[in-house]
Amino acid sequence: MRIREFVAKTLVITTGTILGLLSLFQSGVSAELTATANHDHINIDFFYHGSAVSIRGTSDPATDLVIKITSPDGHQALRKKGKVAGFLWMNVGTLRFEHAPALYYLDSTRKIQDVLSREEMLKYTIGYEALQRHVDMEPAVDENEKAKWFQEFVRFKESSKLYSRSSGNIARTEKDGKQNYYILNEWPYQAPPGRYTVTVYAVKDKKVIETAEASVLVEQVGIVKSLAGMAKNNGSLYGMISILAALGAGFGVGMVFRKGGGAH
Amino acid sequence: MYLYLPVALTSINVLIPVGLGLAVGLLSGLFGVGGGFLMTPLLIMFGIPSTVAAATDSNQIVAASTSGTYAHWKVGNVDFKMGLYLLIGGFIGGLLGVQAIKILKATGNADFVIKMTYVLMLGIVGTYMFFESLASMRKKKTEEVKTSKESSMVKFLKSLPLQTHFEKSGVTHSALVPLIFGCFVGVLAAIMGVGGGFLMVPVMVYILRMPMHVVVGTSLFQILFNCIEVTFLQAYTNHSVDFILAVLLLLGSTIGAQVGAVFGRKLKGEQLKVILAVIVLLVTVKIIFELTLSPSLLLAQGGGH
Repeated sequence: MRIREFVAKTLVITTGTILGLLSLFQSGVSAELTATANHDHINIDFFYHGSAVSIRGTSDPATDLVIKITSPDGHQALRKKGKVAGFLWMNVGTLRFEHAPALYYLDSTRKIQDVLSREEMLKYTIGYEALQRHVDMEPAVDENEKAKWFQEFVRFKESSKLYSRSSGNIARTEKDGKQNYYILNEWPYQAPPGRYTVTVYAVKDKKVIETAEASVLVEQVGIVKSLAGMAKNNGSLYGMISILAALGAGFGVGMVFRKGGGAH
Repeated sequence: MYLYLPVALTSINVLIPVGLGLAVGLLSGLFGVGGGFLMTPLLIMFGIPSTVAAATDSNQIVAASTSGTYAHWKVGNVDFKMGLYLLIGGFIGGLLGVQAIKILKATGNADFVIKMTYVLMLGIVGTYMFFESLASMRKKKTEEVKTSKESSMVKFLKSLPLQTHFEKSGVTHSALVPLIFGCFVGVLAAIMGVGGGFLMVPVMVYILRMPMHVVVGTSLFQILFNCIEVTFLQAYTNHSVDFILAVLLLLGSTIGAQVGAVFGRKLKGEQLKVILAVIVLLVTVKIIFELTLSPSLLLAQGGGH
């Protein structure tokens, strides 16, 4: 497990460096693209109900922009529903999705198909088709099945607001020969704590010419953090406190009602 | 007002769990059921992951059943001796049921067996209780004298060894009877993943022949201990109890249980049975619909590990 983690981390770092170098070469044309995420640190406190993340920056004029927000690749096990005996819907097994990000947001200045070529989308894992190729399913299924279940996966994710794609919501203004862009994304409370990566792609002639990155950190704080930590790391004490609190509340309310109802 | 739930990892409007708690607590105080068969699916509907919903519900039932047991105990409606025998039987049954689940999972059709057991049990219990209580309501009106025709079942139960008198319930049974039926309910409850109150209540009414009001109090008493055990195991092994959600639920359910106990005293045993039967049948219909209508999503959050 440790070794796998280490390998995965090394891979991430190496790919990061390579991507960085690549973008340096590419940006030889013009190192114009910048990206900043306002609200790059979201605290989950007791009253948290989601947040908003705005991304702004500058780019070469007359470039299209694609903005992708993802969490690191992870694996999730989901229960698969299917028909049993021809008419009864039941859980028919577990489907594991490997290398699937928990969150995947995609915004583009115009329809993504009009902005980028298919090859570029696959190369940069932009769009659901690229993501489908990137994700592995276990137990393995054939291509048709994979397409079907990936579609279901996206619908499941979209229903909890963790996957979304839109176009035409990035505002662009030109000033001093530069293009300023801005987008405000609602940040769903369903998104688990973790570090999220915002990648902005500057696109021209259906090709990515530059990329810039920013990150968003989502963290639990205060009571939420201590309770979650205790539930995970000290289950027996947490369980006992939960039981005692419930017993106390039950007796407490019982006593109150006895006093209140004692009159008749 | 919204609060964030640290284990469920989601945000919820506080009125939802408090309201649900109040409603389910009311049923708990009235009928002596934990209400898990209603609460868990409702919590899932409001976006709580299924494992967290089930575990947190058992924590909440600890509070509701303490409150309810206390209310029924005050008016002398808890048969501790009977409760204890049922509890021991239920505990053994739970252990057996967990093993049964393991075997079912290995054969690969666990879900089918679980769902079918659920539908059949709810359906049979609900239908029987409904018609029986309607019949006895009518009978009471025409003739007050109880016809004590002893069925062969009763004769058989009477012939068993270890006969002992249960004072609070006013019945005499072999100690084996509550042990065996407690065990039977325990097995089914473990397989279905529910507390089993809706099975235990009919067992006490029809097999142990206990008066309805003592049934409610005694059922709550043994549910209390079951749920303490389940809450601890869930917190310890699955880390799936959400304390904040449990507190919100129990705010409503502890009060609901008291109100239910007060209402229950004003209703006749037969009336209670009819209402419980209707609720059980409604849940059965709902599950049948769920099984036959195409679900909107074909993937769902994985349960457990």
